[in-house]
Amino acid sequence: MDVKGKNFKKFLDRQQVFESQYDAKSMQKQHAKGKLTARERIDILFDEGTFEEIDAFVTPTKSDGGFGKIQQSYGDGVIIGHGQIMGRLAFSYAQDFNVMGGSLGSIHAAKISKIQDMALKMGAPIIGLIDSGGARIQEGVASLAGYAAIFYRNVQASGVIPQISVILGPAAGGAVYSPSITDFIFMANKTSYMFVTGPNVVKEVLNEDVTFDDLGGAEVHAKKSGVAQMVYEDEENTLMGVRKLISYLPANNLENPPEVDIDKKETKDIEEKLRDIAPDDPNKPYDVKDVIKLLVDKRSFYEIGELYAQNIVVGFGRIDGKVIGIIANQPKVLAGTLDINSSNKAARFIRFCDSFNIPLLTLEDVPGFLPGVDQEHDGIIRHGAKLLYAYADATVPKITVILRKSYGGAYCVMNSKNLGGDFNFAWPTAEIAVMGPEGAVAILYRKELAASKDPAGLKKELAAKYREEIANPYVADEKGFIDEVIDPATTRKKLKSAFLALENKYITNPTRKHGNIPL
Amino acid sequence: MKIKSILIANRGEITMRIIRTARKMNIQSYVIKTVKEPNAWYLEEADHIIDFTECFSDIAEFLDIERIIYAAKENKIDSIHPGYGFLAENPHFAQRCKEEGIIFIGPSSEVIYQMGNKTVAKEYARKNNVPLLEGSKGNLKDAKEAIVMANKIGYPVILKAASGGGGRGMRVAEKESEVERMYNIASNEAAKAFNDPNMFIEKYVQEPRHVEFQILGDQHGNVVHLGERDCSIQRKHQKLLEESPSPALDPELRERMGKAAVNIAKGVGYYSAGTVEFLLDAKKEFYFMEMNTRIQVEHPVTEMVTGIDLIEQMILIAQGEKLAFKQKDIKLKGWAIEFRINAEDVQSGFSPSLGTIEKITWPEGDNIRVDTGVRDGSVITPYYDSMIAKLIIYGDTREKALQLSSQAIKKFWIKGTKTTLSFCRAVLQNKNFRKGKFNTSFLTNELKIHYHNAPDEEMLAAFFAVYDYVREVGDAEGKTLNVEKSKNITPWLLNKRLR
Amino acid sequence: MAESKSNGSKVTKHKLIALSSSKKQFEFSNPQEKIIKYKGEKVKVRLSEDPNGFSYIVWKNRKYMLDIIEKNQNRYTVMVNGVWHTFTIESPFSLKRKKLLEKQAGVSTSESIVSPMPGKIIDVFVEEGAEINTGEPLLILEAMKMQNEIISPIDGIIRKISIRKNDSVMKDDLLIEIDRR
Repeated sequence: MDVKGKNFKKFLDRQQVFESQYDAKSMQKQHAKGKLTARERIDILFDEGTFEEIDAFVTPTKSDGGFGKIQQSYGDGVIIGHGQIMGRLAFSYAQDFNVMGGSLGSIHAAKISKIQDMALKMGAPIIGLIDSGGARIQEGVASLAGYAAIFYRNVQASGVIPQISVILGPAAGGAVYSPSITDFIFMANKTSYMFVTGPNVVKEVLNEDVTFDDLGGAEVHAKKSGVAQMVYEDEENTLMGVRKLISYLPANNLENPPEVDIDKKETKDIEEKLRDIAPDDPNKPYDVKDVIKLLVDKRSFYEIGELYAQNIVVGFGRIDGKVIGIIANQPKVLAGTLDINSSNKAARFIRFCDSFNIPLLTLEDVPGFLPGVDQEHDGIIRHGAKLLYAYADATVPKITVILRKSYGGAYCVMNSKNLGGDFNFAWPTAEIAVMGPEGAVAILYRKELAASKDPAGLKKELAAKYREEIANPYVADEKGFIDEVIDPATTRKKLKSAFLALENKYITNPTRKHGNIPL
Repeated sequence: MKIKSILIANRGEITMRIIRTARKMNIQSYVIKTVKEPNAWYLEEADHIIDFTECFSDIAEFLDIERIIYAAKENKIDSIHPGYGFLAENPHFAQRCKEEGIIFIGPSSEVIYQMGNKTVAKEYARKNNVPLLEGSKGNLKDAKEAIVMANKIGYPVILKAASGGGGRGMRVAEKESEVERMYNIASNEAAKAFNDPNMFIEKYVQEPRHVEFQILGDQHGNVVHLGERDCSIQRKHQKLLEESPSPALDPELRERMGKAAVNIAKGVGYYSAGTVEFLLDAKKEFYFMEMNTRIQVEHPVTEMVTGIDLIEQMILIAQGEKLAFKQKDIKLKGWAIEFRINAEDVQSGFSPSLGTIEKITWPEGDNIRVDTGVRDGSVITPYYDSMIAKLIIYGDTREKALQLSSQAIKKFWIKGTKTTLSFCRAVLQNKNFRKGKFNTSFLTNELKIHYHNAPDEEMLAAFFAVYDYVREVGDAEGKTLNVEKSKNITPWLLNKRLR
Repeated sequence: MAESKSNGSKVTKHKLIALSSSKKQFEFSNPQEKIIKYKGEKVKVRLSEDPNGFSYIVWKNRKYMLDIIEKNQNRYTVMVNGVWHTFTIESPFSLKRKKLLEKQAGVSTSESIVSPMPGKIIDVFVEEGAEINTGEPLLILEAMKMQNEIISPIDGIIRKISIRKNDSVMKDDLLIEIDRR
């Protein structure tokens, strides 16, 4: 081809116009808000030099009603394409706030749908970098239709390929629903917001003053609503976090998660420190994350939803380089009780792991469900059932280690043997019973306690006896509800061989369209 | 009667210390295992363990007089050493030991009571012509009386628990508006710690030195002193560093103060090891503060400069033996400094730093002594004090001791908790400390930054953080993801993976 | 292809800055290498672990004992020879962003008092809505058998008291919020 000829010149001219859309001025506009440009974000997310953009030159539709102008620019405010993350294929779209505030017009939407289709066809993860003012008013219903098309594809892809949304600016109105269908939401603190109705509407309708941050900032969604799983202080760390998460996930629901070749010296299979973590005193709190960190490969624990429902800890880790999903009661917070929020958090995590062939490890230290009028009225029955359903429905390998308390309904829920647990271990500190010693003796010895001169003393004595005779792991062990009572120090070694034994686990659930989880 | 066995009603380093001497004297040691520290080091060092872990009692193990007495009787143990803290200065405990025919290694119950009650102790000091600070004659009725007295004495005043010690139950009031609040805080603290909310009030000497004399007395009326310890480096009345001798004393003053200390001890008929505490003001006037009727945390510095094993002496005295030396036989030789290494966060106001000692190594060598009860894996619990170890350094002169101290501290490494080691380094860097010019206000006036901070260290910390960060965020990048392996799924599974 | 090789992201390949809690900046232009370029000096450091399991760094022929005592995302607390330092790790842009956001937020109008250690609340001296001056006591927290007075760091008005007498608190639990006056 003649590189000085007419054909090539046109090619170069187009290229030049395109580049001018990303000049220093537009970059400055984003930077002044503390935000990176869409292109800079893509550069961080993907391995250096691997991203290939497609549809860079599509142009937006013309305004039809003459109501407002539509900025004519190449790409229509969204970059789509594919590249590699840690050497693995991934698809992505990144909204460009500099083009009409990243608003979603019909072409913009069509591009997103296109890349969604590609990701699903190729069986690779898709990552949306969202920074958009919402539906493009100028395009009216066409824009709304665009949203619906995206939602539809989100749902189709759910459980087939991992979908991750990264909120790096506003996401308002209908725009929030695409992220909420996806598997994980990341947010950059202080510069990203999500809400269905913004502060202005709240002010108009309810006459309440609320700031963007207080209504739908990253911290609110991470701590209170649980909408966002991961929050980072800046965009670089947010995007690095996405890379890290991707390293735990298979590309699709037929693959297994990627393995890592590990340095065997780094983590000990026999770890004596584990003996000292769970205190003998059943009421003393400890941090279950200390247990997790000693069980998984060094540096491999990646927690999901750290700030929300902290009474349960969920996250990914690796044992000998193989990915597992971990669900652990946290005795440090609310004594590790199960409540509505923690049930929801854990149930959703289990569903994700089951979809993507990630084996489950449950570390159990739970005194029961959180009592209270609020909890009952808000439907702890319904929400607790989700966790139970998720565990029972999951067909991936499921292992439970009872560290300490395991009482009542919570015993059943937390992947007990008869709920489908493949291996159920217990530490010698375990207390398995219908209820805690104090509660049990109060019922069983009501008359004796009432008649006693020293009821407190008698209660203590009876509770100790109960603990000795009933609330221990040996009764359950002898009845086969526990496969083995293990020395805490050997836990990792036991888990390794157990997961290995379960590698080819296959069970049949009845054929059906889908079950009816109590949503 | 010769003692053949000792029950040590204590924990931590002092228990280790007592076991050491017991072993030297061929005495069987018994210790108590508690649920709070079931893996403590002292349990392994002792000859016998008494298990208190099956505990139905609401009283803390080391305060449970009847249980300890019962354990001693049941195991046919001759004697009990209380260490410091806990029951060491509880007259009722000493009394119960006596009633049950167990030797209490310490002074008599009566003396503990008399000296333990500071108002009574002051009466004895007055009788023996030892100078005293102006203050209330007896216990205060309430905060109102405290205000009246404080206004009479003049500010600042110090409110002290009658049964107090170790810095607890003690507060300074600078002005009238503070008296009531300080009274309540101190009284509350004392009620909790010593089961006695009674308070007295004294004139507060501005910027004094804290100089105390070690006393040894036998049951035959002989009393000697083993020189002084300077414990002026304190924070909120908690001693952090002690030395013997004191840089502030000359032989003449030492003799006068020593004599005063011996006089009080003789006056009450004291036997066993004890300590008489004085305040020494800028004009080198000294005032009696209190007498401690137990072995002190800082006793090693005295042992280093006198060559006398104080625990051994306590045992010999308890057996009824006469002191083997007279005052003129006691010579102070060289200089000893003790650094208390506590699990405290010096950079945020010495707040306790709980956690597990992951790793600990300490210097060894001539003139270096480390008394500790922790090792790798020991847990610093909130139930007990925060002391990890005592580093005791000896030198022919103060100069040499300080020099060796700097070297030794560099080799003291602890991982897992924040410690006062950086404070020790900061003190050693201070010019006035090196010159021996310091008093109890050293921390507030002289050492404004309580930790040693070298610019290179901060930069290296920054480097290390960045270095780790790169590995953390790029973790899977450094390692290679093995994708092929994950695609290696057996047909058995692949065929059946989808429902 | 048995293994997938990756180029890595650009963030960790370029300059990184450790920003200390006192706003001091330490720049490292080649964070993946074990070379420190500092004040015109370029020194190769040696990171090692001694047989006892302590990590140390050798810098200008001196040994410094190092330990990471806390880390969360890009926030690090590192102990060097017994003194701890807190940093956030920033890229040139995130540092710019941080300054920008701080400027926008202005001075915070309220102060949250959190528990410095686990313990028990013995007494609370203030009520919601009360005026308080710097240095005045808010409450007494008992820990390690010592009663610690928690004092007000600012002049202000008590907005909210989150604890009650006799409550047990964990480290970093919110105790009291004070609006700046």
